[in-house]
Amino acid sequence: MNQTPTTPTDEQPGKASKRMELERLMEVMSAAQIQQGVSLWSDGWKRLKRNRVSMASLWTLVVIVVLAIITPALPLQSPIFQDVKQRELLRPTLFAPANPKGFTWTEKALRDFLSKEKIAEFPENWVVKLRAFRSKVVEAQYAGDESLLIAATPSERAALWYQWFGEIEIAPPEIKSFRLGIADYNEDLTLKRQELIEMSTSDSQRAALQAEIESLEARHPINALWNDPGFISRSMIEFRIFIFGDYCIPSICGTDKLGRDILSRVCWGSRVSLACGLIATLVSLLIGVSYGAISGYFGGRIDNIMMRIIDVAYSIPFIFIVIFIMSFLSAPKVRDTLNEYGINQITVFFLMIGAIYWLTMARVVRGQVLSLKNEQFVDAAKTIGTSQWGIIFKHLVPNVMGIVIVYLTLTIPAVIRFEAFLSFLGMGVQAPDISWGMLVNEGIQVITPIRIYWWMIVFSGFALALTLFSLNFLGDGVRDALDPKLKNR
Amino acid sequence: MQLVVFLLKRLGWMLITVWVVFTLSFFLMRAIPGGPLNGERVLSESVRAQLEQRYNLDDPLFVQYATHLWNTICFDFGPSYKLQDFTVNEVLAQGFPVSAALGIFGMTFALLLGMTAGVVSAVHRTSIYDFSFMLLATLGIAIPSFVLASMAIVLFVFYFQLFPAAGWGELRQIVLPAMCLGAPFAGYIARLTRTGMLEILSNDYIRTAYAKGLSTRTVILRHALRGSILPVVSYLGPACAGILTGSLVLEKIFAIPGMGSHFIEAALQRDFTLGMGALLTYTILLYVMNTLVDLSYSIIDPRVVLE
Amino acid sequence: MVRKFSPLLILLILLGAVVWAVSMGTLPRADFVFNNGAEIKTMDPSQATGSPEGRVINALFEGLLRSIPAGEPDALGRIPMKPVARGMADRFTVSADGTVYSFHIREDARWTNGDPVTATDFAWSWMRFLHPETASEYNYQLFYVRGAEKFNAVQLAVGDKVEVELADRKTLELFPRGTIRRGILRELILPLPAENTADTDNEETDAAVVAAISGKAIFVVEFQNESGNTPVTETIAYAVSADGSLAGIDELKQTYTGDFQLSDIQPCKHVLYDFNEVGIRVLSPQDLEVTLNNATAFFPELVSFYPLHPVHRGCVEQYGARRFTKAEHIVTNGPFRLKERRIRDRIRLMKNEQYWNAAKVELESIDVMSIQSETTSLNMYLTDQLDWDTTPPNAMLHILKKRDDFVSTPFLASYFYRVNTSKPPLNHPLVRRALNLAIDKRSIVDNVVKGGQTPAYSFVPPGMNGYQGYQGSGSNVKLARQLLAEAGYPNGKGLPQIEILYNTADSHRDIAEVIQQDWKINLGINVVLRNLEWGSYLDALQTGDYMVARSGWIGDYPDPNTFLDMFVTGGPNNQTNWGNVKYDYNIKMAKSEADPAARMQLFVEAETILMEAQVIMPIYFYVSKNMVQPHIQGFHANLQDIHPLHLIKIRRAGSAVNDSISEDTN
Repeated sequence: MNQTPTTPTDEQPGKASKRMELERLMEVMSAAQIQQGVSLWSDGWKRLKRNRVSMASLWTLVVIVVLAIITPALPLQSPIFQDVKQRELLRPTLFAPANPKGFTWTEKALRDFLSKEKIAEFPENWVVKLRAFRSKVVEAQYAGDESLLIAATPSERAALWYQWFGEIEIAPPEIKSFRLGIADYNEDLTLKRQELIEMSTSDSQRAALQAEIESLEARHPINALWNDPGFISRSMIEFRIFIFGDYCIPSICGTDKLGRDILSRVCWGSRVSLACGLIATLVSLLIGVSYGAISGYFGGRIDNIMMRIIDVAYSIPFIFIVIFIMSFLSAPKVRDTLNEYGINQITVFFLMIGAIYWLTMARVVRGQVLSLKNEQFVDAAKTIGTSQWGIIFKHLVPNVMGIVIVYLTLTIPAVIRFEAFLSFLGMGVQAPDISWGMLVNEGIQVITPIRIYWWMIVFSGFALALTLFSLNFLGDGVRDALDPKLKNR
Repeated sequence: MQLVVFLLKRLGWMLITVWVVFTLSFFLMRAIPGGPLNGERVLSESVRAQLEQRYNLDDPLFVQYATHLWNTICFDFGPSYKLQDFTVNEVLAQGFPVSAALGIFGMTFALLLGMTAGVVSAVHRTSIYDFSFMLLATLGIAIPSFVLASMAIVLFVFYFQLFPAAGWGELRQIVLPAMCLGAPFAGYIARLTRTGMLEILSNDYIRTAYAKGLSTRTVILRHALRGSILPVVSYLGPACAGILTGSLVLEKIFAIPGMGSHFIEAALQRDFTLGMGALLTYTILLYVMNTLVDLSYSIIDPRVVLE
Repeated sequence: MVRKFSPLLILLILLGAVVWAVSMGTLPRADFVFNNGAEIKTMDPSQATGSPEGRVINALFEGLLRSIPAGEPDALGRIPMKPVARGMADRFTVSADGTVYSFHIREDARWTNGDPVTATDFAWSWMRFLHPETASEYNYQLFYVRGAEKFNAVQLAVGDKVEVELADRKTLELFPRGTIRRGILRELILPLPAENTADTDNEETDAAVVAAISGKAIFVVEFQNESGNTPVTETIAYAVSADGSLAGIDELKQTYTGDFQLSDIQPCKHVLYDFNEVGIRVLSPQDLEVTLNNATAFFPELVSFYPLHPVHRGCVEQYGARRFTKAEHIVTNGPFRLKERRIRDRIRLMKNEQYWNAAKVELESIDVMSIQSETTSLNMYLTDQLDWDTTPPNAMLHILKKRDDFVSTPFLASYFYRVNTSKPPLNHPLVRRALNLAIDKRSIVDNVVKGGQTPAYSFVPPGMNGYQGYQGSGSNVKLARQLLAEAGYPNGKGLPQIEILYNTADSHRDIAEVIQQDWKINLGINVVLRNLEWGSYLDALQTGDYMVARSGWIGDYPDPNTFLDMFVTGGPNNQTNWGNVKYDYNIKMAKSEADPAARMQLFVEAETILMEAQVIMPIYFYVSKNMVQPHIQGFHANLQDIHPLHLIKIRRAGSAVNDSISEDTN
């Protein structure tokens, strides 16, 4: 700010020099404000924000990741529940099952009514009607007629019932709401647990009760419908049931060959694919950065050997080796040994992928460290007495983060694509786990000239392509943003 | 002379690499008991003993390693565990030309399409051509090749009925797989060519050429192109690796009996000898391609020194 | 200089590579192309077991008789397949009591290398087929022949005529064999049985069998040497040994307390029952006489079955078992010969001009494709790349069923899950029964396979004369849970993970996924799926490397025996580690039972035992489904779904061939 200088006439000589100092200080400060010091990050972020495509990609990715995380809490249908009878290969439709357990009203109605016990209760003319009705439903299924598959609300059910049988002499059957069903199930479980504590009489009874409790837990509807979710997912699912109850988003992406909803499979598959991308990249980052930093810092002989190892490793086609190793890991004896140690196949799979991509990272970090290790701040750290490892990991590594981030954004899409590639070939995640590659594989298998089930490939392919696109554009943008040559432009 | 030294050094490193891969795979293989005899039925002891003798499985591990290593050096990869009538050499000999043909077609397509698109984009910068070509290039890079292949099948096999659905045997059957294989690389090459061309076109000597009155075509083909080839050539190494891995999925989709599909089946069926044979073949192939790329790089750019 | 021309050079290289690539890729289409479903395991008749292999072997080789459509159409309009003398034999007679078959081999039967096909070829091939070292899976099909089982299972007793193969084989292959000496077994010295002998019933004989061929026994054989005028008797002791060392019998030598001198024991490769004593006799180059143990009604069907097709001795001996099937080596006698074989792509067959009936074979070339994906093969069929699709995908069946080119008929085949009864928890019969009752088979048939199949609650498919079979019950989840609890796994607790194995095909995977879900939801069991390619899957079954495996069995002949004799104790197609004495007894008795009604009753009892032990879990009975282009003629639907390739003719619209000539298909 420019302060108007006071006239020098009413000042004394000592104060005059002080004032001049003050003026000079003001000038210097105003000049300094134009040249503001910026850190790499804030500078880069500002530049990134100006790149519209990258920001759009960033937002897309944020949405995808958030969707993936909160998928268990969304009112989706079950991703693994098969319903070959009624919902097979539906095109995108507004059909939604009555509850996550997949029951549509017609199926429940038929099963109840056509079970042997019930038929005996009904008048003769009803039995004939019911049998005729059943064949009509089967025919309609083959013809792809969905009109028999709707009816969620009680009034809709009554109307449909009347339409089929022309009377409401016998009341349309009710389905217990899914939420109530789970609540009852949980109550059952709690009762049994209490019984175990309180009424424990003989040992064998206790054991039997214990066994019953454990199997009830194993057969819990949540486990059956959502493939044994972990603790956090499970809580989210329970939250979803609490809030949304029986409501399920209709099959707006259609269903697959076994009647499973594709929208929910794409959402649940995203969790696996994205998790793979993140974890594998993290693994490659850890290995690569440490390796490169150590090699670059120590230099000399150690550097030579380590770089030679990388050179040899570079010429090894790791992708093929990973495929070979996956084959080895699927042998039953090996699988059993791994299971004993608590390592399941997915974990090994992620680690293997991570082990492919660290090479470039290591080389790049080494290059950076080589140029940085002669900087003054390293000398300063040495003077204080920081240990060598401290210098590497506390000082050098944070300074290479810029270029590491750039390579991260290049590696993540490569990893996701590789995981899709392996799942497509049948070597990635196994059923009932889901991944995008597996979904694309299933989609390709039903493409025939007779009928093209386009929804089976379009949605999963689009999700995969969109994620890879965004990651690519974001990577380009981050690379430009963190380019030191463009600083402050 | 320098060339010879360079080649010898490369050869040495290749042998070391191959040896590392071989040892790794060998011990993995032997960690799983069984072998060709796993495929035989529950045998009586004497029959089993005779077959073990036939396959050298009764020697100690180190002897087996040495024998197997020597056989591999003589390019004899042993019998296939799962394909009863064939040895690994025979399977690879059948599969390799098929994969090579597919790869060559794919690479040619990628180079032609990519470079043309890149040059046109660079010359007509910020025009509609530039924009659309670059968009297509990004599409090609981001969409995985198997997704692209399925869409191509729907379009070109069912709707337009231009190509057969699958299989190998006619020229028409090579076209669609080669195009799907080369598409991602065409995208990369287009981008690289465009960047390279833009850099070159901003040089002084290009301005001189225009000033001399040469047509655009002459300027580009005779002067600009050679410089802009460099980044493309240096990309050829990773591109070859990418084509080989890409062929794994495409051979599966189009039912092409190439080395890739044999390798995948070997991995899925735990046919280790075939898997190892294919693995070693891929390693050597990639190494040779990389060396050739380095060589051609030095031929094209006089400033590069072989080391 | 190089630099100047390098762009041109690179261009030339590229052009050359493209031309080479193009030339590598071309192979013109054959007359008749069909999808065989999977890369066949082998072309050796003695080693093959599946129907994909059968189709190829039936085209390349020919047995004594051939099954072709003959007779009156049945109720469904199908012409049944009958084995008739239109194979290597041009006539055959059966003795009055049905035990002696005499085949006359036609004069103009030739191998592809010009050699005539003789009775000796058949005798040698069947000896190879029965030889224990060949370890053929179907060898029990010839056990109806007198002495054949004794030969194969090395069931020797003192006083038997034996043949000794000396340890002088020239190669490591089985054929050509070492020198064969024929003599009489004077003494069989066996080690004392160990504490835990095999848990079979006839322990003594089985111990003799096992010991005899495992190098732990000593055989003392007496030979008659006709040198000069005086016959000289020689007695030599032998021990079977693979590598010539006699380490296995040292202990036995020391503990022996008998009469014979054991100072100089010779190693040998095999000591077997003399094949000349087996009921296969060569009377002349054109006459083969086969003597059976009992009258066997379906023996002609067996003789036309592909494992019994002959192989050329010279070819096998020259190239060895693994290599004689190569296109450049193989010598065959069937309507087609092998032109080339591309792995996982196609097998190209060309018409064999040496075939005795070559005049009537119309197809010049056949491509046998091995496309694993059902959808891809359907696509190829619909775009006219295939003439016959053997594997239409289940998901499309409800649409395909309505087409004219869809040929479907009930089929003598059963789709079931084999259970490895030695792997816990499947060693408990109640667990097996519970698993079976928890599967909803009606739902699988109606919603997954959808081809009009029938859900199966018993093993043997219906449709065979006079056989009622076992009446099983449908799915009953409540009872299943009860049984599981009784077995000690109430509500599935403590039950180890169960693995379902199936060979790679979309339909098998779909069914396995549905059953996985049934068991998970109804019984709370964790199930994992594993799939293998056809060859590896067959291997896994043989070695018992599975828990529950998808299996299919096509009847080789229309008699319940073809299904039920699979599961005799230790049978090569049993593969479940299950055995039952009464079952074996019933099957054995049925072989010699003359009264048809009593025979069927024996089978019903046997099937009841099998189903109550739940060794297998039946899923459905097959319907054959084939898609055949309209221009293909000579393709007849039949109960066994056999379609001989040499009867296929191509009749495209507008071709002016006189059809009255073509009706004489035989």
